[in-house]
Amino acid sequence: MYQYDLIDKEFLADRSAEFRGQVARRLAGELTEDQFKPLRLMNGLYLQLHAYMLRVAIPYGSLNPTQARRLAQIARDYDKGYGHFTTRQNIQFNWIKLKDAPEILDKLAEVDLHAIQTSGNCIRNTTSDPYAGATAEEVDDPRVWCEVIRQWSTLHPEFSFLPRKFKIAITASAKDRTAAKVHDIGLLLRQGRDGQQGFEVIVGGGQGRTPYVGPTIKEFLPTDRLLSYLEAVLRVYNRHGRRDNIYKARIKILVAALGAEEFARQVEEEWSKIDAASADLPAAELTRIRAAFATTPFEALPARSEAFETAKSKDPAFARFVRNNVRPHKQPGYAIVEISLKAQEQTPGDASADQLDVVADLAERYGFSDLRVTHAQNLVLPHIKLDDLPTVFAALQAANLATPNIDLVSDIIACPGLDYCALANARAIPIAQDIARQFADLDRAEQVGELKIKISGCINACGHHHVAHIGVLGVDKKGEEFYQLSLGGSGAEDASIGKILGPALPADKVASAVDQLVEAYLNARVDGERFLDTYRRVGLEPFKEAVYAQAD
Amino acid sequence: MKAVVANRLIDGEVVFWKSGQWVERFGDAELFDSEGLVEQAVSVGKSQPTVVVDVYPIDLVQSEGCWAPLSYRERIRALGPTNEPTHGKQAEGGDAVEALRHAAGAARSTGRVDLIRRK
Repeated sequence: MYQYDLIDKEFLADRSAEFRGQVARRLAGELTEDQFKPLRLMNGLYLQLHAYMLRVAIPYGSLNPTQARRLAQIARDYDKGYGHFTTRQNIQFNWIKLKDAPEILDKLAEVDLHAIQTSGNCIRNTTSDPYAGATAEEVDDPRVWCEVIRQWSTLHPEFSFLPRKFKIAITASAKDRTAAKVHDIGLLLRQGRDGQQGFEVIVGGGQGRTPYVGPTIKEFLPTDRLLSYLEAVLRVYNRHGRRDNIYKARIKILVAALGAEEFARQVEEEWSKIDAASADLPAAELTRIRAAFATTPFEALPARSEAFETAKSKDPAFARFVRNNVRPHKQPGYAIVEISLKAQEQTPGDASADQLDVVADLAERYGFSDLRVTHAQNLVLPHIKLDDLPTVFAALQAANLATPNIDLVSDIIACPGLDYCALANARAIPIAQDIARQFADLDRAEQVGELKIKISGCINACGHHHVAHIGVLGVDKKGEEFYQLSLGGSGAEDASIGKILGPALPADKVASAVDQLVEAYLNARVDGERFLDTYRRVGLEPFKEAVYAQAD
Repeated sequence: MKAVVANRLIDGEVVFWKSGQWVERFGDAELFDSEGLVEQAVSVGKSQPTVVVDVYPIDLVQSEGCWAPLSYRERIRALGPTNEPTHGKQAEGGDAVEALRHAAGAARSTGRVDLIRRK
């Protein structure tokens, strides 16, 4: 992974010292809350329902064991022994004290971590493929370009006060694990006909109260022109994006208002005015960054591992784990291992300090010290030898980290909801736990197959409910928690926005409604269709009937 | 009946007004039946910017012979998160915590309405 140099390290240390001063001035009354709030938000510190919440950036979802252990230590020393992984590949601590925050930032900086640009109207952490550098599907390692964007956008003076927050995603595989089409900018890396690589540029996707699948505004942007083009997009947005209404300030609203074609024309016009030589990344710098990602020293191994095959035939639990959580690797003899943070009764995305330590040890011992976070709130060990998989599985099992349910009905995305979040209307976590309980039978879950359920506690949609096969949105009906179901969304390469099923349901009816939806799907599915495929073929009506018919 | 709630600046802890002091337990909070006194407490709270932030009144409802916040959001603030019953104020248990857990009633939280208005 990318190694911080002296400049990066000094920058983080300075930033932490600056925040220490700001906190001291706030506590002494030299700064008002209105003056201080934007400063703490620039360092990822929110005030939530019970305490301060610190959101730590995990650049493009990539961690090394030292960093994971430090997150575990922070969870133990300053929180209640756990952290919460988010849909933006970050980690949040829910019980932080303001007085401790500067010390925590120091401890993060020691291991090249920080909370910069995890809040505020700036360019946020770039989302990337958690299988980067491990999957044979990719045309290049997307982390190289994520790191380029990280360096370019960090405290970028022109783009630190945008009309609203700005999120970029990069995928280099046809199968999209980043939800690129519902980001402000989605970059899909492609191999051109002449062998050159370029990005398909999607702008103006998003979720929240006005969800859009973003339109493509450029089919093929040569990779070496990325930064100048991003600058042109951001400039058009910075100039014309609305600042009068927070709900209309995202770039998706501008793109929708102008139309994709006119927006693209304005970007091209702006782009033509930018001096490419000073705006684009010098080739030497790209080479330097690329070198940091090209060094995984894989062994030459046979594609088949006897130890792996034997364990699979002897242990049905291991075989089930392999079926659901293990994915093919580009290198023969290796595999990508997904670690579900969605065990029964677990809060989706939560990991205890002890679990973080276990995963750090496994990454160090068996996985080239590489660890990833997914936007689905799970973890990934991207490079595990097939020979080592039974041992890794046993260690995960011992730490309650071997739940074999990736992309199944109980692998539910849920935002913190009203249990923690000051903006939430309704709780999300207990609803996720109810649904997971309903589908605790793993045989049935496997029989149902891929089914992505995502729950948000308010319309801001941190739980990605718009792009769920079954989405659940918490709403406030005169102070009571109700849940609106939607069907047919997808955040993957076949992106779509879900359609509302019908009137909102009370909390205790959600899990049974999901069960009715699943039964309706099982009755209607043909030829190995996924839930989403069946929905797209038969439409909303049969599902609506399944949930609401009895209520009449 | 009303109480006055805030977050303590230094650690974010939810605190309640009690005759000139901020206390951590909802059970210790001062209960107001006069709008004038509530406004006075809120105004004193707002004049203590190095002690508390986000000061606002909450409506109460009776539950099992005790008073409890009317809005669900405020009951969660007075207890802690429902997914971790040992985290937050509810950890100490007892009758007051149980009464809050069993409280019914629903209303929009003034805290959330204020937050949205400020945005």
